[in-house]
Amino acid sequence: MQANTRAKSFITDFVRKIPPVLWITLLLITIFSMASDQYLKFSNFTNILVQSVPLMLVAFAQTLIVLTQGTDLSLGAQVSFVTVLWIYLTKAGLPIYIAAIISVVASMFVGSINGLIVSKGKIPPFIATLGMQNILNSISMLLTAGASIYIYHPLFYDVTKAKIIGIPLVVWITAFMFMVTWVVLYKTKLGAQIFGLGGNQEALTLAGINLVKPSIKIYAFAGLLTSVSGLITTCRLESGQPVVGAGWEFEAVAATLLGGTSLREGKGGIGGTIFGVLLITILKNGLNISGVPSLYQNAIIGLIILMSIVIDALARRMKSYEEGAKL
Amino acid sequence: MDNVILTTRAITKEFPGVKALDSVDFDLRSGEVHILVGENGAGKSTLSKVILGAYIPEGGEIYLGDEKVSFKSTRDALQRGIAAVYQEFTLIPYLNVAQNIFFNREPRNKYGLIDHKKMERDAKKLLESLNCDYINVKLPTKFLSVAEQQMVEIAKALSFNPRIMVFDEPTATLSEREVESLFRRIKKLKESGIGIIYVSHRMQEFKHIGDRITVLRDGKKIATVNIDEVNDMELVNMMVGRDISQVYHRSENHFTGEVLRTEKLSDKKGRVKEVDITLNKGEIVGIAGLVGAGRTELARLIFGIDPIGGGKLFIKGKEIKDNSPVKIVKEGVGMVCEDRKRMGLALNHSVMWNTVAVSLKSFFPKLLISHKKIVEIVTDYVKQLRVATPDIYRACKNLSGGNQQKVVLAKWLSANTDIMIFDEPTRGIDVGAKMEIYAMMDKLATEGKSILMISSELPEVIGMSDRIYIMNNGRIVGECKRGELSADQIGALMLGVGGDSCAS
Repeated sequence: MQANTRAKSFITDFVRKIPPVLWITLLLITIFSMASDQYLKFSNFTNILVQSVPLMLVAFAQTLIVLTQGTDLSLGAQVSFVTVLWIYLTKAGLPIYIAAIISVVASMFVGSINGLIVSKGKIPPFIATLGMQNILNSISMLLTAGASIYIYHPLFYDVTKAKIIGIPLVVWITAFMFMVTWVVLYKTKLGAQIFGLGGNQEALTLAGINLVKPSIKIYAFAGLLTSVSGLITTCRLESGQPVVGAGWEFEAVAATLLGGTSLREGKGGIGGTIFGVLLITILKNGLNISGVPSLYQNAIIGLIILMSIVIDALARRMKSYEEGAKL
Repeated sequence: MDNVILTTRAITKEFPGVKALDSVDFDLRSGEVHILVGENGAGKSTLSKVILGAYIPEGGEIYLGDEKVSFKSTRDALQRGIAAVYQEFTLIPYLNVAQNIFFNREPRNKYGLIDHKKMERDAKKLLESLNCDYINVKLPTKFLSVAEQQMVEIAKALSFNPRIMVFDEPTATLSEREVESLFRRIKKLKESGIGIIYVSHRMQEFKHIGDRITVLRDGKKIATVNIDEVNDMELVNMMVGRDISQVYHRSENHFTGEVLRTEKLSDKKGRVKEVDITLNKGEIVGIAGLVGAGRTELARLIFGIDPIGGGKLFIKGKEIKDNSPVKIVKEGVGMVCEDRKRMGLALNHSVMWNTVAVSLKSFFPKLLISHKKIVEIVTDYVKQLRVATPDIYRACKNLSGGNQQKVVLAKWLSANTDIMIFDEPTRGIDVGAKMEIYAMMDKLATEGKSILMISSELPEVIGMSDRIYIMNNGRIVGECKRGELSADQIGALMLGVGGDSCAS
């Protein structure tokens, strides 16, 4: 009986978790459609979806890391690194597909190093990945001498312009990566371990699980998602850009938090993150269409990010207040 | 014995500075509940962890039946059919019941992915075998009550098909009714031939659930007896009996005027219930009770860490309404707690910094501070309290536990504290340093400071206190003056048996 009412309260809890993002999203759409008659066109919505793709993939990666109570600050640098490496290797004479695969593997390798440092070295993820961010940025700069590097290849155009049943290929790719992430999170051992790392590490140790292996796998998988984002970004820009991903890791954290994943207890999931990313993209797109100067745009987005983090912190404080502790 | 399934011979386990287990022999028969009992720190949890493979002993042997085994991890022990229901739950809050039960052993379907349907079916079957089929296996365990979570823990342990199960203080967090239903389930497990090790110190439970009892004290086995061949008093004797006259010295003192009083003080979580205590100037008042009796919670309540749920708190005649540590410290109350590392000291900082950090304002009411004067003040305290440190710039983490505790004392003394709450002041400190702390307490009280001491070491409470309150289950169940009650009588009150000899 009791369990049943609690099941209900869990559902209401779940429903309560999603709406804020949806509401704000709908509110923004209303505001922007009043501000500009260009806004409510179908083409603009596909546009928003396409625009959201690179951040979406990075945010999926970040969500997994946040579920383990970590933050991966190297994700943005990984994106830049992949765009640079792909072009660099192709320029060096490797076939473009081979270069792409090497770039993906390199990004996963970077991730597994992160996972190794975090778990084996017991270094807080924030610090370990901050170090990795700097290393990657530096490598990207060295490979490009600080400027963008270009090659011409029809593949780039094909990837960005291709459509299947009227929906752009990159959106399909993202949907596919979402499915893969969802399966990993809910249908594999690794997924359960992700929730375990965030929720109760003691439980993993007592189950005889060495924390190193799952951490390496999780960060490597984050690297995979990020590298796909990097490849798509390269196609769109038709170039390797050493700073293109700067700051994406924080937007990804914001999207994760907006989507209802909490910075503690391994609470949340991948579904909400989609809406978090859409919210941020709609905000950017709407500000553009309504003609708000880009100098203001960053401030507004920053405010939204801060708000999402403050709300999370407030929720935590309210909860500990309910539990009766003042310290 | 023909049906002995587990034997340990001469198990020895050492931690830095303590011999947690000293050559302990133990055996378990199939279909029995074998209770492990002892004071806190007697070694009962350590022994159960050795059997579970969580600790690797330095010496001794473990036999399963006739076969000698050595476990390197809990996983080894699990594979040999030894499962545990831990005191601290090991559930993952946002995984559901079935996922938690089969964590890391999830059944797979033909694609190699987790077969949730099968997992939920199996989980349901396990819960049914415990008569707990009302628990929804799809619900994240976060949303279950404590008793339900414990049932999930038991189901998880059962899923390994164990021959031996260890219950570590399973009733500590349960209500009476929940305890009854837990016992019914344990009896059912016992009937199915599982041998059960039951770690507890709640004497009132033993007769209901146990077959044999092994008493540990200071890491040594005192005795193993059949439950119906021993009475409570004998057990208490075995648990606490020891010579306490040499370590403690308390000077005669006259108490003048009340400095602290509570009237029906309760917290919000029901762990402290309507507590009435008083503390006079120059007095050492001890609060005895087992872990979970509400002693530490009472201290936290008085010091303002937890909010008051009901009743009144008076310090020096003044009622404290909205209690908070800041307010309480302003009234001249200091707390020396068990966990010095977390709450008492900034370990990476120097002896000097730790001593004066809270009192700088009172020494230097103006903007600037004088380094020279600080050095003088701190050097004075270091001498007074005999802190063994080469110089006052040494980081506190390099000092021994006893000396760290002295720095905490220096901190409060420099802040002009005249009421001190000592929460387990000597835990993890060797005997020599303990005696110095006791001498310090005696001196402080004689000089007119008031001390409220909370300790799970009964000899310490009896040896140092002018007056003792005994707590059980959140309530004060007895009060006595120095020398009025024997250790056995106080021990019995703490354990909640034979309590009418001196109830207040």
